[in-house]
Amino acid sequence: MDTSTHKVSLTDIFLTFATIGLTGFGGGMAIVALVERICVREKKWISSEEFLHGLAFGQILGPFSLNVCTFTGHHLRGIRGGIVAAFGFILPSFLLVSILSWFYFTYNKLPQLQAALKGTNPVIIGLIVVVAIDMGRKQIKGVHGPLMVTAAFCASVFLKLNAAWILLGAAFWSLCSSYYRRRLS
Amino acid sequence: MTSLFTIAWIYLRIGLMFVGGGYVLIPLLNHIMVEQYRWLTLRQFLDGLALSQLTPGPLAMLATFTGFRAGGFPGALVATVCIFLPCVALMLLVGRNYERLKKIDLISSTLDGLLPAVVGLVAAAAWNLGISSLSGLKDFLILAVGFAVFKWTKISPMFVILGAGLVGFLIN
Repeated sequence: MDTSTHKVSLTDIFLTFATIGLTGFGGGMAIVALVERICVREKKWISSEEFLHGLAFGQILGPFSLNVCTFTGHHLRGIRGGIVAAFGFILPSFLLVSILSWFYFTYNKLPQLQAALKGTNPVIIGLIVVVAIDMGRKQIKGVHGPLMVTAAFCASVFLKLNAAWILLGAAFWSLCSSYYRRRLS
Repeated sequence: MTSLFTIAWIYLRIGLMFVGGGYVLIPLLNHIMVEQYRWLTLRQFLDGLALSQLTPGPLAMLATFTGFRAGGFPGALVATVCIFLPCVALMLLVGRNYERLKKIDLISSTLDGLLPAVVGLVAAAAWNLGISSLSGLKDFLILAVGFAVFKWTKISPMFVILGAGLVGFLIN
C-alpha cells in the first residue's frame, strides 16, 4: 500500500486524531486548521499540497472535518490508517455526546458548557487565520492565484455560495486553463 | 425500544444522503426524528442540535444524540457508526484513487490550480465564524492573543485551546 520510507504506527495515528477530536472545539474549519498545524507542520506526515487536495475533496463530499482526517490517515497507512484516523477523531465527540445525552434525558437540562466555548471560539478563529496565512504564502503564486483566492472568499462570504459549488467551479476553471496551457506548449 | 437493526438502517440511509452536503442534515433529521418516528419533540431536537455543536465532531454528532434517545447507549453507537460509514468509505475510495490519479499530468495540474480557492474558503470560514461569534473587546483581545501564540510560538494548539476554554469559563 503506502510505501513511504518509515511507517507511522496505527497507534500513533489513533492517538493523534483522538487528541484532535478531543480539543478541536468549534468543529469544521477548526479541525482542518488543527490537522494542518499538527500533521503538516509539526509531524510532516503529509505535504501541504496533498493536504489541500484532501480538503478540496473533503469539502465536496460532505462532513469535511471527518473527511480530512480519513484522507490523512489513508495517506499514511492505507485503508486501515484511514479507518483508525476517522475512528480516533469521532470517538471523543461520541463519548461526550453520549454522556451529555444521558444527562439531558435524565435531568432535562444542558450543562453550562457554552461559557467555556465563548473563550475557545476567538482562539479558534485566530488559529484558522494563521493557517490561512501560512497556506496562502505557499500556494498563492502568479496573477491567477490571488484572483482565485479573492473570488472564492467573496463567493463564500458575500454570495453565501456552498463550498462544494465554489470548488467545483474552481476545478472547472483550473482544468480549462491547464488544458489550454498544454495546448500552447 | 426500537430495534438496533431499524436504527442501523435509518442512519445508514441518512449517511448516504449526507454525503451530498452538510446542512441538508438538519431538515432531514428533523423530519425523520420528530415527524416520522416521534422519538423527539421539536424542543428536544433543537437542544440536541445545540449539544452536538458543543463537540469537535461534525454536525452529524446529532446522530449520537437521537440514537441515544431511540435505543440507549447501543442505539447511539449504532447510529453514529452507520451515519459516518458512507462518507468514510467514500473518502477512502477517493484516497486510493487520488494516489493513482495524481500521476496523470492534467489531473495533478488541475488539482494544484484549484488550491488558491481552498485557501480562500479557509479564510472565508474564519470570517464567517468571526462575524457570527465575536462581540466586544474581550473576544477580540483573546483573538489577538491566540493569533500571536499560533503565529510566533510553537506551543501545542491543544494547550492553547484548553487554556482558552478555561479563561472563557472563568470570565463568563
